[in-house]
Amino acid sequence: MMQPKLKSKVRATDREIGEVTRVIVDPLSHEISHIVVSMNGSGERQVAMTFVQSVADGLVELRAAARDILELPPFKRDEYVTTHEVEIAHLEEKVHVTPGEVLVPFPELEKSVKRRTFFMNFTHVIGFLIGLPIAFPVLRYLMKPMYSPFDNGWLKVGNISKIKQDDIGFQFKYKRKVKEAYMPESEIEKNVWILKATPAVLDKVYQGKDLEFKDAYGKAVWTNKKDVPFVAFSGKCPHLGCGYKWRQHKVLGQVFLCPCHLSIYDASGKVLDGPAPRPLDSLPIRVSATGEVEIIDMEFKAGTKTQIRII
Amino acid sequence: MMEQTPPSATGLTALEKVIAFVDERVGLKTIQAKMLNEPVPGGSRWAYVFGSILLFIFIMQAVTGILLMFYYVPTADHAFASTQYIIHEVDYGWFLLSYHFWGSTAMVVCVFAHMSQVFLWGAYKSPRELIWLVGLALFGLVMGFGFTGYLLPWDQRAYWATTVGVEIMDKTPVIGDFMARFLKGGATPGQMTLSRFFVIHVMILPAGLMGLAGLHIFLFRAAGPAGPFRGTPEEIKAKTDYFFPRQIWKDIVGMVTVFLTICALAFWEPVVLLEEATPDPGDYHPEPEWYFLFLFQLLRLKMFGGEFGQFVGAMALPGAFMALLAALPFIDRDPERNIFKRPIALIGWIMVMAMILLFTIAAIINREFLD
Repeated sequence: MMQPKLKSKVRATDREIGEVTRVIVDPLSHEISHIVVSMNGSGERQVAMTFVQSVADGLVELRAAARDILELPPFKRDEYVTTHEVEIAHLEEKVHVTPGEVLVPFPELEKSVKRRTFFMNFTHVIGFLIGLPIAFPVLRYLMKPMYSPFDNGWLKVGNISKIKQDDIGFQFKYKRKVKEAYMPESEIEKNVWILKATPAVLDKVYQGKDLEFKDAYGKAVWTNKKDVPFVAFSGKCPHLGCGYKWRQHKVLGQVFLCPCHLSIYDASGKVLDGPAPRPLDSLPIRVSATGEVEIIDMEFKAGTKTQIRII
Repeated sequence: MMEQTPPSATGLTALEKVIAFVDERVGLKTIQAKMLNEPVPGGSRWAYVFGSILLFIFIMQAVTGILLMFYYVPTADHAFASTQYIIHEVDYGWFLLSYHFWGSTAMVVCVFAHMSQVFLWGAYKSPRELIWLVGLALFGLVMGFGFTGYLLPWDQRAYWATTVGVEIMDKTPVIGDFMARFLKGGATPGQMTLSRFFVIHVMILPAGLMGLAGLHIFLFRAAGPAGPFRGTPEEIKAKTDYFFPRQIWKDIVGMVTVFLTICALAFWEPVVLLEEATPDPGDYHPEPEWYFLFLFQLLRLKMFGGEFGQFVGAMALPGAFMALLAALPFIDRDPERNIFKRPIALIGWIMVMAMILLFTIAAIINREFLD
């Protein structure tokens, strides 16, 4: 394959007529199909390779006369795009033309297309119209398990006779049945702290008022009477939800201490030290005549000043 | 004239023929040449090994992760049992699981090293702002990997790290509650949480990491390596070599070192599970993985207590720090890259490192106080 170099002189059969300014490549065969000749001031002509007799260093010899070449139609630049603007793989490997432009014809069908911006935007609109109707179903699909109603059932946690001392944090472990979506029913272990409170501590817990618990609709489900000496604290630390313990503290004596972020509460649940935003959460508690303790296993959001029930 | 005739088929081995066949169609040799023949301004250095090492660690995490999935079951009633099975019953299961665990630690260490190197070398500056930004996103993904992967064994450590971690997210104003419920798939951790963390850990984050790591490398190739922060252009030019062989040699040595270290840790400190996850912590004192310890300790401070303090300590402060890092190349427009002529940057880096170290040590000291 002949590789005419740019800036080569072009000589017709009778005389020199100009120089090569561009080459035009066939996008399929990757072969040079034309050269563009600048006609020494008489415009540019597109000369097919079939006119080319030979290509030597710096010189292209044609097999036609200068007059014949001049009669060819002028070169129309805007019918071509450069190879940088289209993706034609491996073109550079076959065509050794440097420097300058390597051209391929602009496809016939593309010449008459107006409103390119419109079509571009239209494509985006279509994409948006595909995405929009599935966005909501996808969101709902993912949100399915996020909100569930509260369970206000009573759970037996043990017998009050286990507690031998007043104002001492005593942990009862209990099991709660959980039925989650498609899963078989399972049991999870939880704990609650029960306090047999002296009147002073009881007053600190309830502050002289009965404590009312509500369901999701604001309807009362239970009221802890202010004079019933049994207090239940949710096992979940109101700071960030860890499990706290009843511990001996060097300075503060016996306290509830959370090992996570070291929040410390007294027997009435009041914050003594550490980062906790509110006192321990009291739970609905009732004690039967035989001393069986039952609670409603509520959970409140950790880390908030006010109680926000989540279970 | 210049038409290339295919080399005669005689004298080529079968492998060479296959390579020639592929090369003719996709330009294999050009790709290889472009990948290997990247000039490293100022020459190869040991300081540049961390990017390659991170890629290596990620590939190993993907391989070990896929192998773990052959036995692991992401359900609340089988996650713990299947992980125990991997550890105790499957041949070399303990090793693969421990490799995966220590690999994640190595990942965090190398991310810190990589970011520090880029920061100290001033390599985040123009024209490499985009590489830095994508790198920060990758840092976020690595943290996400650590957080989501931690839940999967479904033991007490897993359960409580997740419980506390999600509670922290819950404190984000306005969207916190939604985000926390969305992640947990409910009000408290359970099967839905495990499913969600699993799909995030094995599908979403790997896809994100692969895409962003590809973009990271592409942007890096587009901008070129920053090179040393000292030396005249002539000096740097004189020392310049290609990525292959000297830098690749250093990278490989780094990878082998990291590989052997992870293997040694997996061998001497294999993963041991605690009790199966349940909302009763028993005697367990919840604690996050070591690289979150400083944040954990930070939240013990009274100034970060209470509803607002917690938000400041756990969300606003780390968020502001990340935002500062993201804004860094746009704030710091001084082209000076020499760290010894950027006192604020140097002091800042030392202070951040000292803070992390201090809080981590404080958290470790506090452990004894609790027992």
